[in-house]
Amino acid sequence: MLAIKNLTASVDGKEILKGVDLQVEAGELHAIMGPNGSGKSTLAHILAGRDGYSVTGGEVRYLGEDLLQLEVEERARQGLFLAMQYPVELPGVNNMSFLRESMNALRRARGEPEIDTLSFMKQVKEKARQVKLDEKLLKRSVNAGFSGGEKKRNEILQMAMLEPKLAILDETDSGLDIDALRTVADGVNRLRTAERGMLVVTHYQRLLDYIQPDKVHVLADGRIVRSGGKELALELEARGYGWLLEEAAA
Amino acid sequence: MILSPSDYKRGTLQGIESLPMSSGDWMIDRRLAALERFETLGFPDRRSEAWRYTSVEGLLKQGFTAPAKSSQRDRDDGIQNHLLEIATLGRLVFIDGQFIEEHSVYPSEGVRVTSLKTAMATGDRQVLEAVGSLSGLGDDGFAALNLAGFQDGAVIRIAPDVRLDGPMELLHLSTDRVEGHKLPTRHLILLERGSQAELIERFISEDQQSSYFNHQVVEISLAEQATLSHKRIQMESRQAYHLSDLHIALQSKAAYYGVMAAIGGCWSRTFISNRFQQPDAHCELDGLYLVDDGQLTDFHLDIDHQLANCSSRENFKGILRGAGKAVFDGLIQVGKGAQKSEAHLHNANLMLSRQAEVDTKPQLTILADDVICSHGTSVGQLDDQAIFYLRSRGLDEQRARALLCQGFLAEIIEKFEHQALIELLNRRMNFVGLTEPETNHESLG
Ligand SMILES: Nc1ncnc2c1ncn2[C@@H]1O[C@H](COP(=O)(O)OP(=O)(O)O)[C@@H](O)[C@H]1O
Ligand SMILES: [Mg+2]
Repeated sequence: MLAIKNLTASVDGKEILKGVDLQVEAGELHAIMGPNGSGKSTLAHILAGRDGYSVTGGEVRYLGEDLLQLEVEERARQGLFLAMQYPVELPGVNNMSFLRESMNALRRARGEPEIDTLSFMKQVKEKARQVKLDEKLLKRSVNAGFSGGEKKRNEILQMAMLEPKLAILDETDSGLDIDALRTVADGVNRLRTAERGMLVVTHYQRLLDYIQPDKVHVLADGRIVRSGGKELALELEARGYGWLLEEAAA
Repeated sequence: MILSPSDYKRGTLQGIESLPMSSGDWMIDRRLAALERFETLGFPDRRSEAWRYTSVEGLLKQGFTAPAKSSQRDRDDGIQNHLLEIATLGRLVFIDGQFIEEHSVYPSEGVRVTSLKTAMATGDRQVLEAVGSLSGLGDDGFAALNLAGFQDGAVIRIAPDVRLDGPMELLHLSTDRVEGHKLPTRHLILLERGSQAELIERFISEDQQSSYFNHQVVEISLAEQATLSHKRIQMESRQAYHLSDLHIALQSKAAYYGVMAAIGGCWSRTFISNRFQQPDAHCELDGLYLVDDGQLTDFHLDIDHQLANCSSRENFKGILRGAGKAVFDGLIQVGKGAQKSEAHLHNANLMLSRQAEVDTKPQLTILADDVICSHGTSVGQLDDQAIFYLRSRGLDEQRARALLCQGFLAEIIEKFEHQALIELLNRRMNFVGLTEPETNHESLG
């Protein structure tokens, strides 16, 4: 589903990704861990198509296509979703209308008719309840004045509504209390299907207490320095990242 | 060629001569006094602080010296096309600066509506004496010229304790017959003690090419505990000149809620002066403007707090595109005796191109010590992160930009309350078109 080969990228002339290789198949959930500043968000942003990064080498194939050639919105319409580490506040843009417009943009791209008001309302209410997002926030401007946790719940709500083929979550667990963390994890688990790929970026091991990853990768200094199963996360929890960095440098 | 003040004086005198005369010497004397004041003041220029950023040269070159003649048109013509789907209690229609009785509907009780022309014809001294009571003879040449030569207008008086449960509309429609003319009008809005009303004012042109000068002075007086909600939409022809002076006077516990939109015209200036005549009054002004190539829009606020316990809040937002130009000059003065005042003034501008220009000058002078005041201004561009966020949810770039522009103005648009007005504004501002790549200008990425 997603195949990243030897991806290198820089920001303002500074090399951030130094050759990332990663393959995610349909039905798999991969966790990417790593210290702050190792390039996790950079990778997520490049996958979603954000400006400001120059890809200097390598390739990314998504569903058989050259992902990096696609416009941001085309990626979204082809089922790629990024839950952002810092969701943007959009004053004056109504949360519910935005969600509906987004859904319809994706449906149109798939040649489906727009969703009718009733079904939309039913769905959005049900899913808002699942992610424990106060219904009042649906009527407000997107993320404007939301607490950190509310913003993350709103991202998970969008993900649940848009039903992506490949979901990338960038530190959706950061800064959350245990209750919110469980909600995020439940949201992720609910979406796990045999068709869907998921890439969960996290700084801490604790999210993986609730989500069972198929693979765990450690991104350090722009490279995946170690891949393994769930036990790798536990080892990182116990030993930190230092030993890995030393091994990688050796 | 710029015409001389004496050309304007001649044109104005001709206009006065065409008016019904039974108002007698007394009104004529006032007009002549105003004309004299105009001759003394002349037209303002950039040397005066209030006109520093707004040139009147273009306007004066047009030579709108004489008022438009009474509309000769068939009065049954297409006014229906301009009506809104709002259940109004009354509607006063002005076509080409003249009150049109046939299209006007009056509310039944508690409201007295007269046209100034009728008042002049019948010599209604009570009404006429109130004209100019808030504006005086005029603080600048334009204002003086308006008092000297106004042709018509509405007088609306709401009786004590009458609370109208629906809006009244003042519709100003200009046709191509006004090409080359000025339309000097005045309104008097008087709310008596404890009364409550809502007024929707619109300025529209039938012909988007016609060039004329719409010049209006509005005097609004709210007695104790009166409340007025005033919604004003200026969407004149793109060749039109528009100048509005609003003088607001509030007595104890009165509240004025004004929301203004300036979208049309090639040159548009709105001056709003608010006076708290008694303590405990409240004034709110919200405004939006949208300027494109060949447009200048100016908002000028003068909020004067001299008495205790009054509050005011002003929030103006504008989008500038192409080589559009905007001026915002907001002044709040809090005098020594105005303890416990609260005053907040904000102006924000969204620049869609490098050629656009805004001069923004929010000013706050405070002489009292126990007050809560703030003022601020911002000039920014569309946020790349926000555009990325919207696109990452499947919206194309143009739509993303349009949504952000609309979102930027949303808090002001909401103040228009009625769905029909909100839709009208959204349609007229055409947010999607707004974000189309500009052909002659380099737009910001
Ligand atoms: N827009 C940017 N401009 C300059 N440097 C950046 C930018 N984005 C990221 N970086 C740098 O790239 C490195 C990786 O950042 P990031 O991908 O955010 O790391 P992580 O998400 O793993 O914490 C950091 O050193 C960060 O300072
Ligand atoms: Mg990060």
